[in-house]
Amino acid sequence: MELRMLRKSTILALAGSLLMTGAALAGTFGKVVPIGGAAADVALDEARGKLYVANFTGRRIDVMSLATNTITTSISVAAQPSSLAVSPDGRWLLIAHYGNNTAPASPTNNITVIDLRNNNSKQTFALANPPLGLAFGIDNKALIVTTKDFISFDPSLGTTQVITTITEQATKAIPQPAQSAPAQFSQASVGASADGRYIWGFADSLLFKYQATNHIITAGYYTASPIMAPRVVSVANDGSRAAMGWWMMDLYNDYPRPYAQFPEPLGDLALGGHQIDSARGLIYSEVPRLLTDAPMLTVRDIDNLTVRERLQLAEHLAGRSVMTTDGATMYASSASGVTVLPVGKLNTVPRLEASVEDLSFQGNFCDRDAATQSFIVRDPGGAKVPFTISSSNSGVRLTPSSGVTPAVIKVTVDPNAFAAQKGTVAVTLTITSDTAVNAVNSVRVLVNSREPDQRGTFINSPGKLVDLVADPAKDQYYVLRQDKNQVLVYDGANNTVKATLRTCSVPRGMAISYDRRYLMVGCKEGRTVSVFDLETLQPSTSITTRNANIQSIAATAHGILAVGFDHSSGDWGVYSLDMNTRTGDRLPTLGVWENKVPENTVVTAASNGASALIASPDGSLFVYDSNVNTFTVSRKDFTTFAGAYAASSFGDYVIGNQLFNSSGVPVRLIQPTNGVSSGFTFVDQNGYFVTASDATSAGVISKVDAPTGLGFRPTRFVEAPILPTDLEPFTRTVAPLYSRGSIIALTVSGITVLPSGYDASVVSPNIARVVSAADGVSAIAPGGLFSIYGTNLSPTNVATKEIPLPTALGDSCLTVNGQPVPIIFVSPGQINGQMPYQTVGNVTLIVHTPGGVSDNYNLTVPATAPAIFRAEVTPGAAFPTVVRAANNLMATDTNPVHRNDVLVIYLTGLGKVSPFVENGRPAPSDPLATTVAQPEVNIGGIGAPVLFSGLAPGQVGLYQLNVTVPGNAPKGLGIPLNIVANGVTHTVNVRVVE
Amino acid sequence: MKTARMLVVCLAVSAAPAALAQKWEFGGAGGYGFNTSKDATRPTEKATAKIKPGVAGSAWLSNNTSLRWGGEIRYDYQRGDLQLKQGSTEANFSAETHAIHYDFQWHATDADSASRPYVAFGGGVKVFRGTGTEQLTQPLSRFALLTKTQEVQGMLSIGAGIKTKINDRWQFRIDVHDYITPFPKDVITPNLGTNIGGMMHSIVPTVGISWTK
Repeated sequence: MELRMLRKSTILALAGSLLMTGAALAGTFGKVVPIGGAAADVALDEARGKLYVANFTGRRIDVMSLATNTITTSISVAAQPSSLAVSPDGRWLLIAHYGNNTAPASPTNNITVIDLRNNNSKQTFALANPPLGLAFGIDNKALIVTTKDFISFDPSLGTTQVITTITEQATKAIPQPAQSAPAQFSQASVGASADGRYIWGFADSLLFKYQATNHIITAGYYTASPIMAPRVVSVANDGSRAAMGWWMMDLYNDYPRPYAQFPEPLGDLALGGHQIDSARGLIYSEVPRLLTDAPMLTVRDIDNLTVRERLQLAEHLAGRSVMTTDGATMYASSASGVTVLPVGKLNTVPRLEASVEDLSFQGNFCDRDAATQSFIVRDPGGAKVPFTISSSNSGVRLTPSSGVTPAVIKVTVDPNAFAAQKGTVAVTLTITSDTAVNAVNSVRVLVNSREPDQRGTFINSPGKLVDLVADPAKDQYYVLRQDKNQVLVYDGANNTVKATLRTCSVPRGMAISYDRRYLMVGCKEGRTVSVFDLETLQPSTSITTRNANIQSIAATAHGILAVGFDHSSGDWGVYSLDMNTRTGDRLPTLGVWENKVPENTVVTAASNGASALIASPDGSLFVYDSNVNTFTVSRKDFTTFAGAYAASSFGDYVIGNQLFNSSGVPVRLIQPTNGVSSGFTFVDQNGYFVTASDATSAGVISKVDAPTGLGFRPTRFVEAPILPTDLEPFTRTVAPLYSRGSIIALTVSGITVLPSGYDASVVSPNIARVVSAADGVSAIAPGGLFSIYGTNLSPTNVATKEIPLPTALGDSCLTVNGQPVPIIFVSPGQINGQMPYQTVGNVTLIVHTPGGVSDNYNLTVPATAPAIFRAEVTPGAAFPTVVRAANNLMATDTNPVHRNDVLVIYLTGLGKVSPFVENGRPAPSDPLATTVAQPEVNIGGIGAPVLFSGLAPGQVGLYQLNVTVPGNAPKGLGIPLNIVANGVTHTVNVRVVE
Repeated sequence: MKTARMLVVCLAVSAAPAALAQKWEFGGAGGYGFNTSKDATRPTEKATAKIKPGVAGSAWLSNNTSLRWGGEIRYDYQRGDLQLKQGSTEANFSAETHAIHYDFQWHATDADSASRPYVAFGGGVKVFRGTGTEQLTQPLSRFALLTKTQEVQGMLSIGAGIKTKINDRWQFRIDVHDYITPFPKDVITPNLGTNIGGMMHSIVPTVGISWTK
């Protein structure tokens, strides 16, 4: 087997030293135990409470007490102890000495056996070749790997047996230049699983897995760029997977297989380390990207390397780590010697986190007042941790700007500071601390300042969203969140996430299989393609591509095409994925052309599967024809491509803002272009084209007539779509739902939903009447819920669950005496909202829509106007929302009010409350908000004692009256229940029985 | 109403000591009750309202005031769900009735006869109790509302039966009663626009045994 690995990675050679990187950090995780030398390896002896540290330059084994984390003694040994291991029975400590000395000095390659049960008596055995590493198997025999062979060593007998020989591994001779670390001499690492059944290891070009139970070695050779570093192997408890350098390996048909890789590794042999925590399904790692990276331990999921946490270290890790059996403590070789990391007690170390990832402020043309939201800064373990928080934009104010956890941070946004941008501005809130040991994720504040003509509603979806695919058979769509390795499955009916699917590492592109059964996800840092069953939304067997990072996928009628980076050849190519065997192979050719494509090339298929388009950033393209199962077109008419890419069922293609015919010949430019190309989707013979000037501007969507290339009725929408970058030059950001009722766009804040008729002509709104939302008749009081009836009040139907209530919804907003009004629901004929508590007396109400502004509507708002809500129990039969506490059901004729019942009456219009509740915000539960006016209730003229009068906790504008039915209330059908507040009476009829 | 009801019961009980000097009979019986239905009529449609048949039980205390005349105070319990029915659509609601009444009895034979056919007539009160679970809606509610409540109605009782001696102390009794009350409009409440009227008959045959002294 030959495993070759090449990785394109641009490393910025920035000046700096390893030592300077650790100095600037505040709180750090773990304790550094210096050893006065260079730690080459560590071995744990839990039974004796000791950690053995191979002091490569100190010619000794430093023994650290696990109880005190101090070096209690040292064992002098031969020069350059480079690797060591304790036998499973706890008797032997075996040490390899790397003595690859150059003349005139003689080689001193040997091993030392220390009998831990016999006063640490030592024996030394010479080796013919420099040792690369050693580890004990379950049989208490050690596997010693040298530059030329694998040797089995029995410490009890002192005998060696060559298992097999290998191609000589390159090593460094002694002496090496100054500052060389131990790993830069042997350039190898060997480690055993906790159960001793497997030993994994790798050197400069060799990697292997050794099965101690049958002494079978599975080995191969590899190349990698950058070099495979850190030169450390850590093995899962059961030996089923291992981390080697920046590779994550598992077993595929019992052969080691890379399944994921750490992103953008630096490739420094002596910098970094990792340790698998099998019990928790995690890997603790430091795989730096740059020399200047601060020392940081990253906690990741072991399967797809999703980052869970980042912990600041006092110094860089520098080699192998070991972990106690209970998972409480990790001991890592580090720059000074050993760093003790209590990974099992993370909750006891000070950390910080914010309760939200994003805060979204949707300003609008009605509301130019400062808006405030809040979130919590806390310690996950509940401790009190001091912190400071700052904003990257002066238009976003924070109160307080420092404090101690847990703390509520009020974020106040002045919309006027963002008025120049008509899209969404992302402001970063940075949380820092002198005490917290973790790198705190920043909070993104999204400030949107739309104008009346900007259509659509955005739905916040945090994270880096990189691809969008609509389901071809139902109103459902899939959004790829790259930073969390997730597919977010959205329900197109209400645009909420109905499922979250875990993908391979750093997902980049999606496609749905031609039979519409599976969703496939390709990943930048994963060696497999994740597959999900779209019926069950459960993972299915992934597709193995061995040496490729598949990043773009397209399902044609004939088969599945994919584009990815080929680690075997070090270039990009086109692959064929087989859903039956769940394997993928690089195509030998692309028709009559070589199978080579530039970096970041993408592929997409026509919805009928008849053809596929391959677009490359260098301005080249391929067209694949399913009918003949080959590539029929290869052209390069441009020097660069970026932005949208799409293929139609009618033989048209779009790349960037250019239309191509079925021969891949550019036929026309989409006009007007309206900024940077972001997304294009064909719908029959036409399409939707999405662009933006920049990330903070409004988005623009046009319908495009594909035959002519004319984009007509370009319409601004609420915020910019995701725009192409140098690293990800192609973007797919627009998709119509299956029912074509809505168009979905990937935008700055997450998702933007546009009605299919977004470009319909609009006329000014007209208000016909304004009444209580409870009964459609009564007047409106401050704080009460009301309904506006009229025409053209909104271009679309939208209801919100957002709290606090927004002051603009579905492109509509309204003001009362110039004050913005919280809105619950909008439709062309009706708007529901909450009358601000400050409003009373004669007021003027105005509705704003993309079509214009309504005429003034004047009305009088009394201090109270009680009105009980009506609920339709059966079609045509509405009853007042009077609930019997006895059975928690609404009182109806068949569930009548009984004498002495306690009734809960839900109504609106009881006016001001105490304590004050802000407009659009839910009522508190502690203390309860009670009405300032004291309403009276009678049933059939008999007074009913009022137990509570106030806002229903957790609700906006909804009041609640709790009353007791008098024992002498008149019985019968249609007994009047009267609520009297400030002389205003509201009456409903109820049935009363004994 | 509750006070009046208790007064009737107390009067009936207090009448008993005057007859204690005569021959006494204490017994119980079980049977099955049938109720007549009533039309619930609306201007363009109608449904049937009734109390469904159900098991019945009685207990009584009798005395003979002469060779042929006697009287007894009697308690009757009857299960019977409330029902509205129109075609195949029906609404049901658990219910029961309790009645207490005093009947005069005239026997066709003398007190020492082995077999004593008799007729009875009297009056009392009947309590109708809706005991079902209240729901937001109920089928056919436009006709009437089957209600969890109770109401008391005056009751006429007529009946006939035969008492047969088993031995000096025990006798066997078969009888049938017709309990006549106004239609119980509190537990089966006619909805607005619906008429349900008239008297309701509850025919209850029972078989029982009594102890005499």
